[in-house]
Amino acid sequence: MLMDGKKLLYDKYFELLSFLITSARGLFNEPEIYGPLRLVETAEKLLEIMEEESISNRELVELKKYIHENIDTVLYGEEEFKKFLDEVVKRLALIIRSEVKRN
Amino acid sequence: MNLEELPDKARIVFETIRGRRSIREYIDREIPLEYLKLIVEAGLWAPSASNLQPREFILIKDKDLLRAVKLVSPGLSGNPAAIIVLCIDREKASKGGRMGETMALLDVATSLQNMMLMAYALGIGSCPIASFDKLALKTILDIPEHVEPVLLLSLGYPKRWPQPPPRKNVDEVLHVDGW
Ligand SMILES: Cc1cc2nc3c(=O)[nH]c(=O)nc-3n(C[C@H](O)[C@H](O)[C@H](O)COP(=O)(O)O)c2cc1C
Repeated sequence: MLMDGKKLLYDKYFELLSFLITSARGLFNEPEIYGPLRLVETAEKLLEIMEEESISNRELVELKKYIHENIDTVLYGEEEFKKFLDEVVKRLALIIRSEVKRN
Repeated sequence: MNLEELPDKARIVFETIRGRRSIREYIDREIPLEYLKLIVEAGLWAPSASNLQPREFILIKDKDLLRAVKLVSPGLSGNPAAIIVLCIDREKASKGGRMGETMALLDVATSLQNMMLMAYALGIGSCPIASFDKLALKTILDIPEHVEPVLLLSLGYPKRWPQPPPRKNVDEVLHVDGW
């Protein structure tokens, strides 16, 4: 279905699409650490969309909050940022594990 | 150094410099146009190599245009009330000789700092943004070929003033009377 121009401008998927395309081009010129940064930013945007569309649960909402509140660690150096990403991965793994165990 | 011992002007300048932060979350509140113009004027009072002043500024206040710029700027966080695009005019910069463009970039940097400090003194948060797509921005804003957008400055009333990211100590980087 076609949308008028303005709706597209404010559409959350279109925002994500624009972010991905401009990040892809931008990363040629940016510091290496911005690769992981843009991906985890994408994850945050995706979690936001999932929440709006009710494809979410308490753990995912908390994961989004954790990312939002700690993404600034990228400004504190590589080690800090890596620790933050490890924590994000750990939280994701716990969510996956509990999904596996759910019957 | 104990700041209390400094003359008022020196203390205020230092506290303003130290207190400014890059703001990435804004509240939904407009900035008066006269404030935005004052911020640009503060930028114009920055030093300029050979006083060529090859700087140009594009103020974006329109909601749809703000959104459009955000879409092509992965480094832009939050929803600012305004964005100023700091540009260099390559034709004017070329009058500065072979180093003209490098000097023009430095001119933009001196302006940027003045503008952020002016904004901060007005209670307005700002963030410089280098992570934007130049080609997309030039297309969206009809920027002429000889004008190069260098940085975006997002502006708005902050949701919060964040903790400062760490800074090096003076003794770590200062070499007195030689390396
Ligand atoms: C030239 C330049 C480009 C920058 N680009 C971005 C950017 O694209 N996105 C962003 O969020 N911050 C950007 N920043 C802000 C820096 O991350 C910030 O200044 C730094 O982490 C120190 O934090 P402070 O400004 O709060 O003291 C930029 C800063 C400068 C000077």
